Amino acid sequence: MWTDPFLIAALVTTGIAAVLLLWFLIRRPAITRATKIVLLLGIGVFPLLTAANGNIAGYNATKQRSFCGSCHVMTPYSDDSGDLKSASLAARHARNDMFGKENCYACHADYGMFGTVTTKIGGLRHVYEYSLNYRNMPVKQFLEEIEIRKPFPNSTCIHCHSTQNQGFLKIGDHASTLDRVRGGTLSCASEGCHGPAHPFSKEAKKQRGAQ
Amino acid sequence: MKLRIPSTMALLQISAGLTLVALGLMVWSMMAPTPLPVMLAMTVGQGLGTLAFGLYGFVVIRDLRRAMRAKRDSIPPPVNK
Repeated sequence: MWTDPFLIAALVTTGIAAVLLLWFLIRRPAITRATKIVLLLGIGVFPLLTAANGNIAGYNATKQRSFCGSCHVMTPYSDDSGDLKSASLAARHARNDMFGKENCYACHADYGMFGTVTTKIGGLRHVYEYSLNYRNMPVKQFLEEIEIRKPFPNSTCIHCHSTQNQGFLKIGDHASTLDRVRGGTLSCASEGCHGPAHPFSKEAKKQRGAQ
Repeated sequence: MKLRIPSTMALLQISAGLTLVALGLMVWSMMAPTPLPVMLAMTVGQGLGTLAFGLYGFVVIRDLRRAMRAKRDSIPPPVNK
């Protein structure tokens, strides 16, 4: 946390702005041109720098697995990802430095030019739903009833695991399902292929199917 | 009913107070980056900060206009001969 330069810069500018503003509020100096310049720094320049750096620091923080896991219903997913003994797809990816502690974001972010924006708008929907509907839902019930909003797109997997490599194509199941995988009608994270990505993902569906 | 605009000092004090609250929200979001503080900082915090800066801008522009008006009024009108 303390290694984030944007966070440090934001805290420094906040400190300077706070000192200037407290000086003005406590000492109540005459409103001269000098006072207005001090206030321009305290109300305008330094808070703007804080907001800019704070936004970047906040954006970086929202990519962390700990951020996703801070909603109680996400705790099992977060714990599984961080479990060194877990063999789930999510945990195995989390052990890769390319994903690391940002593995939730790395896999669930949209790609494309406006991918970051659409991902964050989707994240706001999650926060809205959580705050209003699921805040008090027991984790067990959540794992049984709640599913991912949209099917996990294969393009996310293909972004790293090219379907054009010989290593990929020489596997019979890949070759026989190539069009379906590329077309997104067969999920890479299907059970029996490489999924489920999380140990809980399809449990509810299976149980419902068995009833 | 005519709205009475507070004095320059009062407006600047409100502006400074709002800025401190906004900064507090931003620092909270950085120290505890969980959904609630982060969203509060990026909505309420930035809204308060913008409002505070707007008040400051209003005070500065109002004072400038007053000064210009006072300067204009202090110049004697040209005498017609």
